[in-house]
Amino acid sequence: MHKLFAIALFFCTHMSLQAQDVPNIKLVTLKGNSFQTQKFNELSSKPVVLSFWASWCIPCINELTAINDNLESWKENLKFEFYAISEDDSRTTKRVQPLVSGKGWEFEVLLDKNQDLKRELNVVNIPYIIIVKNGKIIYRRLGYIAGNENEVHKIIMENQ
Amino acid sequence: MHQKKIFIIILLFSSFYVNAQLSGGFESNSAYYIDDDKIKLEQIEARQRFRSNNYLRLDYKFKKFTTGVQVESYEPKALLNYSPKLNKTNLGNYYINYRNEKLRLEATVGHFYGQFGSGLVFRSWEDRQLGIANSIAGGMVKYSPLESVHLTALYGKQRNGLGFDFSNGTIGGLNADAELSSLLKIKKTKFGIGLSYVNRNEKNNEIIGLKKNVYLTSIRGDFSAGGFTLDLEYAFKSKDALVEFNNIRPELQFDGDAYLINLGYAKNGFGFTANLRRTENFTFYSQRNLAGNVYNEGFLNYVPSLTKQYDYSLTNIYVYPAQPNLSFEPDRNKAGEIGGQVDVFYQFKKETPLGGKYGTSISANFAQWHGLKGRYEAFERKYKANKIGFGQKYYRDASVEVRKKWNKTWSSVFTYLNQYYNSRYVEEATGEVNTNTVVIENTLRLKKTKSIRWELQHQWAQGGFQNWAAAQTEFNFNSFWSVFALDLFNYGNATKADRLHYYNVGGSFNKGAYRVQASYGRQRGGLICVGGVCRFVPQSAGLNLGLNYSF
Repeated sequence: MHKLFAIALFFCTHMSLQAQDVPNIKLVTLKGNSFQTQKFNELSSKPVVLSFWASWCIPCINELTAINDNLESWKENLKFEFYAISEDDSRTTKRVQPLVSGKGWEFEVLLDKNQDLKRELNVVNIPYIIIVKNGKIIYRRLGYIAGNENEVHKIIMENQ
Repeated sequence: MHQKKIFIIILLFSSFYVNAQLSGGFESNSAYYIDDDKIKLEQIEARQRFRSNNYLRLDYKFKKFTTGVQVESYEPKALLNYSPKLNKTNLGNYYINYRNEKLRLEATVGHFYGQFGSGLVFRSWEDRQLGIANSIAGGMVKYSPLESVHLTALYGKQRNGLGFDFSNGTIGGLNADAELSSLLKIKKTKFGIGLSYVNRNEKNNEIIGLKKNVYLTSIRGDFSAGGFTLDLEYAFKSKDALVEFNNIRPELQFDGDAYLINLGYAKNGFGFTANLRRTENFTFYSQRNLAGNVYNEGFLNYVPSLTKQYDYSLTNIYVYPAQPNLSFEPDRNKAGEIGGQVDVFYQFKKETPLGGKYGTSISANFAQWHGLKGRYEAFERKYKANKIGFGQKYYRDASVEVRKKWNKTWSSVFTYLNQYYNSRYVEEATGEVNTNTVVIENTLRLKKTKSIRWELQHQWAQGGFQNWAAAQTEFNFNSFWSVFALDLFNYGNATKADRLHYYNVGGSFNKGAYRVQASYGRQRGGLICVGGVCRFVPQSAGLNLGLNYSF
């Protein structure tokens, strides 16, 4: 185990500057169309915000509610794309569309039904935010506490 | 020896990173268990009080190829009640993957995860909290001859443990999905079909009369127009021997099937969904005698419980796991389940009497599940279940959740849950439980990233553990540091000595993709459930430490 820690430590300290791009995984839109995630890498120089969530995760809903409240005003001055990526599996995936409509959320929601994207991006737990720019991951954050959405706003502003 | 090899593999792996892209993640969950005046470790467990589960995943991408390993370390021992197969340090997964977007082709050699349709006939996935890591080791090809036609073929053995430990069965699977409306260039309505086939080939020469091949197959269709959606699925399992308490009974062969109907409607501000399902003898394991094992080993299909998944501690005491299995016992025969759930979501708009300045969001859920009605002869191991017929009631719940933002700094969530839980059938214990649970959660923002959150919960219960009260508070100093304290008090327990406080205090540091969390206290015994799959944990006390990092 100590070796594993040592290796992990080595990577944590030396590798964090190596920016990763987003692997190409097939997700599904709420309308049922396939969506290839390479699109996140191709969205020119706009920052792309990916929020990993699930219908049963209360801090995730808190985060998306807070972001939804701000989205309109952020979009007035800033250029960015926002996607909420649902990690609901087939137990709850059918609740996603009614929940999104019921809450009146206006951002795009994608379904990652067997957590393929989550796994490949090493997203261990949700809520989790990833920001991609020019095809590289420039920001990651695990967890949500009230006010964290301001940090997302700040990163978007810095990357215009 | 193993450790040395793994160490070398990883070093080799890391020395190539310069010209390509390396990504990975590390997760560690450790506990030091103590005995306090009320909670003590079992003697056999007490020999090792420090336990730790560690996962290091590295992926290396070069042009169209990606290769990766996951090393897992359970040293000196895995956390309480994980499978004994998870011990020491060893390779978990290893794979090479080729992806060509232009050819719409993907191929993997080594370990892979996957799901066919809703997962009723095949799903392999990882859930570390539940100790599930049932990837298939072998080969998988995904190919889309047209943009709206997707084919998958796979072959291999299922991981069961670490390194080169696999289940006995060899798995072969085929899946096809076609988005027919896109093929026909129809825009206003959307419809598609899917077909799956999964076969397990398992030799067992010691027992005569077993079928070498057992398969699951599924046909499904989906349709949507306007805000409406409808999905239908029928799945069938071929005859397989009954397994009772690890005993294979070749003279008793049963087939099984499953029906699933999902209905939905959504428009801005309103959403509705109904899920109905009937399963009969519909569990499928990668090794016959793993049927019904307590460590969630060898799952090949996914039959989640279709009930709402709750996120508060007292709403998670009586969790219903799906009951697709066949078992005979006088007065407790089971052949499957039938039932459904309904969800409604509604948003009261801003600037309306109920919506107030910021709007009010409300959701309600109802779920009810029964055993299959029919004729059962337990001693002769015979049964005949009606296609439609509600037998013994297993579970029912009804809940309402209201979210309200009062002003710029204060928001609340109210939850009410009413449950009926038939312990006799669901847990194969005794009795029934009726509960009413209320939860109030409040968040107050003090400054931009400084906030305080508190929860008050109460559960009135007849049967089971009787009444509970719980309180939790969390203080977030800034976006990095956070502390919490909680107490669950089972003050109504019928046994006086079991009226325990399950308290916990802790804190976390969170910066970007780093997270460190430490807590001290007591863990309630019972089922930990994720996605309707549960793992039993005994109650314990001690110090917990969690680390997370990804890059």
